[in-house]
Formats: sequence, structure tokens, C-alpha cells
Amino acid sequence: MHIQIDQIAKSFGATSALHPVSLSIPQGALVALLGPSGSGKTTLLRILGGLEFPTSGRVMFDGQDATNMSVQDRRAGFVFQSYALFRHMTVFDNIAYGLRARPRATRPAAAEIARQVTRLLDLIQLPDTGSRFPTQLSGGQRQRVALARALAIQPRMLLLDEPFGALDAKVRKELRQGLRDIHDETGLTSIFVTHDQDEAMELADMVVVMSMGRIEQVGTPAQIRQTPATAFVKDFIAA
Amino acid sequence: MVSRSTWIARSPMPGRGVAAGITLSMLSAVVLLPIGALIWQGVQFGPLGIWDVINRDRVWAALWLSFRLAFLAAGFNLVFGTLLAWVLVRYRFAGRRLVDAAIDLPFALPTAVAGIALTTLYAPNGFLGGLASQIGWKIAYTQWGIFLALVFVGLPFVTRTVQPVVEEIDTEVEEASATLGASRLYTMRHVILPMLTPAALTGFALSMARAVGEYGSVIFIAGNIPLKTEIAPLLIVIQLEEYNYNAAGAIGLAMLGISFVMLLAINLVQIWSRRKIGHV
Amino acid sequence: MSDISHPTRFRRASDDSPVARLILIGIALGGLGLLVAMPLLVVLSQALAEGWGAALTSLASHDARSAIRLTLLITAIAVPLNAVFGIAAAWFITKFDFRGKAFLITLIDLPFSISPVVAGLCIVLLFGANSTLGGLLVAGGYPVVFAVPGIILATVFVTFPFVARELIPVMVEQGRAEEEAALTLGASGWRVFTTVTLPNIRWALLYGTLLCTARAMGEFGAVAVVSGKIRGQTATMPITIEMLYNEYLSVAAFSMAGLLTCLALITLTLKTGLELRHADALAATRRH
Repeated sequence: MHIQIDQIAKSFGATSALHPVSLSIPQGALVALLGPSGSGKTTLLRILGGLEFPTSGRVMFDGQDATNMSVQDRRAGFVFQSYALFRHMTVFDNIAYGLRARPRATRPAAAEIARQVTRLLDLIQLPDTGSRFPTQLSGGQRQRVALARALAIQPRMLLLDEPFGALDAKVRKELRQGLRDIHDETGLTSIFVTHDQDEAMELADMVVVMSMGRIEQVGTPAQIRQTPATAFVKDFIAA
Repeated sequence: MVSRSTWIARSPMPGRGVAAGITLSMLSAVVLLPIGALIWQGVQFGPLGIWDVINRDRVWAALWLSFRLAFLAAGFNLVFGTLLAWVLVRYRFAGRRLVDAAIDLPFALPTAVAGIALTTLYAPNGFLGGLASQIGWKIAYTQWGIFLALVFVGLPFVTRTVQPVVEEIDTEVEEASATLGASRLYTMRHVILPMLTPAALTGFALSMARAVGEYGSVIFIAGNIPLKTEIAPLLIVIQLEEYNYNAAGAIGLAMLGISFVMLLAINLVQIWSRRKIGHV
Repeated sequence: MSDISHPTRFRRASDDSPVARLILIGIALGGLGLLVAMPLLVVLSQALAEGWGAALTSLASHDARSAIRLTLLITAIAVPLNAVFGIAAAWFITKFDFRGKAFLITLIDLPFSISPVVAGLCIVLLFGANSTLGGLLVAGGYPVVFAVPGIILATVFVTFPFVARELIPVMVEQGRAEEEAALTLGASGWRVFTTVTLPNIRWALLYGTLLCTARAMGEFGAVAVVSGKIRGQTATMPITIEMLYNEYLSVAAFSMAGLLTCLALITLTLKTGLELRHADALAATRRH
């Protein structure tokens, strides 16, 4: 899906989290929103997911105004920073949640739901964890379950908030490749937020560098590395 | 597309209307409207009329008695409750869990039950009252009885606010004090008690707020002699029984005023302690 | 190291001396014995002063049974009302950002700071026969004061904050992420509440409801003002205890008191059990 961000601004009371920003994300891209904390990257992601509403501006999905579309109707596969797995449900029930939440008319039968959950468990390479609870999983496993849960609703895009933030360095490297594979396999337009420039440069096709609620530069990792557009970008990628 | 209301931030969370509707309508119907009726009664009666009612020896005596004994009982609980919190967190002894659970009994036991039980126990012909009367100490039907009942109802507040703070004390602080040559008593006075003070004062204020308005556990043991052992809430009940709504409303407003002052005091103590320690 | 070579056992710097321990534990147990344990024993011994038969007979009397029925009825109405209010208020306060939130919480807490007698007085002034509203209601055949609705209103008033103040800190701590996740997966509002929020707050809800129930069954001051104390009609269990006690019917008064004491003990047991088994699902600090 093609995502168009048109002059989006967001303020919380007197403080501006986002100055008007505009951005066009082509179908199938894997995009990193890169910046330090407080740069507005998470706010922008949450606006795309329908979890936050802009103070002004528009969001377009495939050319259609989606600014006021409800969070349920967006079908944005959202992976939360600390995963927000339902702690009282098993891994299976977590992944099945979105399918079971559909209105009766479009809800798959129980057997079909089970088949899809099993397929997703295979995809994230955790085939035998369906009956476990989130607290019984490692951090990396939880992240993959959160990803599977988001994929289960056949999302129109994938939005990930610091997907590797809570993991140690070794697991982080492994899972980066996992996300790349899933992106390539599904072809979903994917946007992830990160403060780690290595992660952004290694994984993304397109990097959006943000600071203080503004977009500093948009480009491929190579472009950003070779020709940083502002002093901030230069400093930030040198760090 | 731009959020219209600035009072409440736009949010994807469902149920805003229902939740706000239930909350505000029940709050209004159950709490605000009745309190409004009391205030309206006072407005109609006028400040002079209210002052006429309050400014009688019997009313002053009752308000002063309720306030003073609530203060004293809360003071007793401040010391005893802090001691209980310390003992329960730091010491291991048989029956500790039972004692811990028993501290909440005043929350769970109906006040009327506590009232008749304490009266029977501490009356001159009761078990403990009999013992006390042998040394000439009359408890029930005197201010001692009221004090006792107010200690009972306020008992859990200090302990329950201080307990979590004692649990959080890092014993390294005490060890540091000891390595610097401080005696245990010195460490207690200069290191531990100051850490407990904000929570203990919060508990004190809560305990006192509860005791000022207490009725059920007190009326049985108080003896209810005007000017001596008659508490302010009882005066309201007496006025109502005589259908003297203006007088009842005037005393009620005075008590409401005391409640608001107590509420303010609790909040100030908590703000102060948050500044000082970072938590309550 | 053996006790023989070290006759005084090693004491950590954060331990009190054995003598101090003994004195403090002694004061604690002594004080609680005089304040809590002895009154409990008095209730039971007075109730059974003339044996089980007399106690049970007094509880089986017409007035006693009607008092028990009334108290159960009032609890059955007041507690669910407060549970619904508590859930709605906690949802509103923790899931939305709005101005005046702290003030709203203060207003919800207000009944804890107000004397129950003043609460009863407020209801009498609003709904009593001498007020405009009360006059209309009485004329229409729906008296509130000196009738069951007034008792329910008084009970809801004094127990008003119980569920809300237990739920709010728990829901603040749990945050909004799980609800947000459910929304992004397409769940409707009601579904989010029943499948995500409710399972996470169920122990806290139970805890708050339990305390609310105990208080609702035992409320005296506020109910005494609005009930009119009509035997067999508006006399709740605590009111009946007062009437029997003032008539020197000690066994009957203490039998009913014993019944309420048993309920209080059951409440404490359940409460302690919840605290032991589900401490992580309850509010960390509590004061009631």
C-alpha cells in the first residue's frame, strides 16, 4: 500500500510533537523512522496506526483520505515497543485474537483459524509454543509472537515501534534478518521506528531521519551516509 | 479531522461517552447533588442563622470534643501504627500473618458491632472496665471511651501507609550508619524515622479524617452527656430527630468544613512528602 | 562458627537487639489484643451467653429475619451499582487524557472524607418530605427518606470510592498498550473491554467489590439518619443491633453482631488470600 503523509502536525497541549511533516512511502517499501527520543518518530507511527490523531494534516492510503479512519478499519499490523501481548492468553490465543474479533460474517471457522495460527507459528519458527503464555517466552520469542499476531489479520501495512529495542545485541541481529525475510515474503509496506542508526541503515530501503518533530532527511542508507543533508544528520550518523 | 474538543484529547479508545456518562451522572446524583442540598440549605438559612446555631456552648463543646479526640486518637495511632508496621515487616514471629490480617478488622467490622463490643468490654461491669475501675479509672461513658473507639476505627491507616515504606528501606542505609559508628538507637532516630515520617503523617491525617466524623462505634461507649461526651455527629442526629433541619444543616456544614480542611491537609502532606522523598 | 565460641550470636547491623524486639512485639500484640482480639471474643461470648439455642432463636425471629433480608437486598443493589461506577470511572480516568482529572479523582474520593452522618443528612435535606424534590416524591408515592431507596442511596454514597480507587492505580500501572493492540487487531470496544481489560483487572475488581460489600453490609451512621428505624421495614442489621442493644436484649443484639462479625472475618480471610495469591494484580498502596 502507498502511504502519503500530508502536512501532519501534532501538539500535546502547548508542546509540539510534530511540526507539519510530509512524506510519501511507496508500495512495498521497508522504511526506518530514525531519530533520538523525542524526535516525534513514535508519534508519527501511532498516527499512521490510528492510535493518535493529528492536530492538522492528512494521511492518505492508496490515495484515499484515511485521517479519520478508525483504528479497527485501518488493518495496520502494529507491533508495540514492549509487544503488548495479552498476558492472560496463550500464544495461540494471542495470534488468533484478530481473527476471532472479526464480525461473524467474515470470521473464519475455528479449524481455519487454527490452520492459520499454525502456519504463522511456523513462519516465525516457533511451531510448538502455541500453548505457552507470554511470560514463559524469551524476549526474542515474544517479539516474533507479536509480529505473528499482527500478520494474522492480513494487514495492509506493518508498523513496528522499536521492534528490537528490548532485546540484547545477539538476538537483535538474528531478528533483523527475520523481519527482512518476512517483509520480502509478504511484500507489505513496512515502517519501523528506531533510534539505532546501524539497524536503520542495515535493514531499511528508505531511511527517514527525524529530530525535534521535523524530518531532517529522507533517502536510501547510502545517500544519507554519503551526503547528509543537515548538520544534525551528520552528527547523528557519526555517533 | 481536527479534534474539536480541547477539554478531552481525541483518542481511539472506545467507550468514552458511556464511561464519562456513567461516571459524571452517578457522581452528580449520588455525591454532588446531596452535598449541594446541604450547602443550599446553609445558603437559605444564612450565615447569621448558621452562626447562631454553632455559637452555643453545647455545639462548640461537641465540635471541639470530636476534633480534639480525633486528633489525640490519630496521634496515638501515629505512634502505635508505625510500631506495628515496623514489627510486621522486620520481625518474624509465630502468628505474624494473623496479626497482619487482624489489623484490617476495623475496616471490615461494622462500626455498630465494634461499638457494642468495646462498650461491653470496657464498661465498669465489663471484663477490662472492671479491672480499670479497681484503680479508679473509668473508661466507658467517659472521654476515654470515645478515645478508645476512635483509636479502633483509625488503627489500620498509619500501619497500612507506613508498611510499604518500611519494606522499601534498603538495609544498606542502616549498615552504612552502623559503619559510621552510629548506635542502633541513633540510626533509628536519625535515619529510619525520618524516612517513615511522610507516610506516617499521611496515615495520621487519614486516621484523623475518619475519626472526626465517626459515629457508629462511638455513640454506644460515649455516654452522650451534653457538654462532656457528646460528639458532633450525634448532635446532628438529635436535631434531625426533632425535625430541626436548619440546625442540623448548620452543624453539618461545620463538619463538612472540617472535612474539607482535613482533605486539604492530606493533600498538602502528600505533596510535601512527594517533594521530600519522591513517593508517599 | 559455633555458638560455643561466640556466646552472643552474630547480629546484623540492620537487626534490632533481642530485648528491643521482645518489647516491640510485646507492645504490638498487647495493643492488638486489647483493641481487636478481646472485642471479638466479647461478641462471641455475649452472643452465646445463653447457649446456641437462644442465639439461633433470636436470629430466627421475624424482625431479625427481615433485617437480614433488608441488608442483603441493599447490598445486592448498592454493590453492583458501585462496581459499574468504579469500572466506568476507572476506564474514563485511565484511558483518556482530559483536564481536571485530579479534581475528578478528588470528587470521587470525597465520600471517604465526609462523616457518614453528614452523608445521611445531605440525603435527608435533598429527598426529605420538607424539600421540594422530596415533597414531590412523597406526593407521588415514592418516598426516599425513611424508606428503602434512601438507605440504598446512603449506602452507595459511603461506599462510593471503593471499587474505583482500587481499579485506578492497577489500570494506570497496566497502561493502554494491550487495549491499543486489541484495537489495531480490529476488536470492537466492548470486545476489548471483555477480552483484554476485564481479565487483567478481575482480581482488583474482586478485591474492591469485597471491601465495598463489607462496608455496605455494616454501614451504620448514614443509614441511621435516613432509615427512620421502622422495625421490620427499614431496620437493617446494624440498625437492629442498636435497637436491641438499647433495649438491653443483649443476646439478641450480640447474636446479630456475631453474624456480622463472621461476615467480617470471612471478608478478611478472602482479602488476605487475594493479597497473598494475587498481590501483583492489586493496587500497591491502599487505604480505606
